[in-house]
Amino acid sequence: MNSNLTIRFGEEADQKYLVDWLLQPGVLEWFPLADLREVEDAARIWVSYHKYNAVLTSLWDGVPCGIANLYLQPYKKLAHQCLFAIIVDEKYRGKGVGAKLLRELMQLAKERFQIELLHLEVYQGNPAINLYRRLGFQEYGVQRHFVKEGGKYLSKILMQKTL
Amino acid sequence: MTFLADFDIRYSEEGDLASLKEWFAPEGATDDFPFGPAEMEEALKNWIGFSRYKASLTGCVKGEPCAVGTLFLMPYKKVAHHSSFYIMVDPAHRRKGVGMAMVRNLLHLAKTRFRLESVHAELYEPSAMKPLLEKLRFEVFARQENFVHIDGCRKARVLMEHFFA
Repeated sequence: MNSNLTIRFGEEADQKYLVDWLLQPGVLEWFPLADLREVEDAARIWVSYHKYNAVLTSLWDGVPCGIANLYLQPYKKLAHQCLFAIIVDEKYRGKGVGAKLLRELMQLAKERFQIELLHLEVYQGNPAINLYRRLGFQEYGVQRHFVKEGGKYLSKILMQKTL
Repeated sequence: MTFLADFDIRYSEEGDLASLKEWFAPEGATDDFPFGPAEMEEALKNWIGFSRYKASLTGCVKGEPCAVGTLFLMPYKKVAHHSSFYIMVDPAHRRKGVGMAMVRNLLHLAKTRFRLESVHAELYEPSAMKPLLEKLRFEVFARQENFVHIDGCRKARVLMEHFFA
């Protein structure tokens, strides 16, 4: 465990980091977003879950380096499960930030929100799939042609883990 | 199955919200949808809101609404080539072919007006919609156990998609 790495609840001000990281070269390939307007819209929604303490921000020597959130379900009959999203600043990849953030997120989901089933959506070819598999997520479906960009399609892989 | 006489389909209007509310009033009517009775008001407003994009159709018998089917258009460009949809048929007009007619027309709307390449649906098992969608060449691409809890009963969700040739 790296002692430089700490995790706190996310704050509204973290939105600017999220926007910056989403706009780093190549990152949008793995998100459904195409331009700044869409990135800002998605980042606003992502960080808005901080109101429920459902956003975690990782810090490297006190500097934000990753964010993950739980998209808590607004409907009661679905409240036992939720989708999540995670991103790590490219400068801090390969240092265990994503794994630590995701482990903490799973713990938060289970203990604070009584989430039984955590799931995610990831695009075909995204190297993060290996991390998800390592942490116990299993594939339960594939939606073909989910993303279309420049005439090329990517499938969306659906993965889940029972907590 | 007897197809309704005097059945017609038009674009939905905001005022169709009243019909949707009426059809969802009976106990258990929300069981095939993610929202429950307490959350219905907001969910139905959001649903009928797609009528402003001409993405919603209302089936009528003798001019009276009997079904609403709506494409939930995607907000981002890279995923704007497909959408999910909801459909609700007035309980008094079920098993008459209304649902099939509505889905066929929604598919036509998706393909011709919005140039969509596929349309997908989320169902909770067991679902009366599944055989209908299978007839229309929807295929299952995901199944997730324990997705929805209704009155202590855990149900799976099934995701189905129809690709336009």
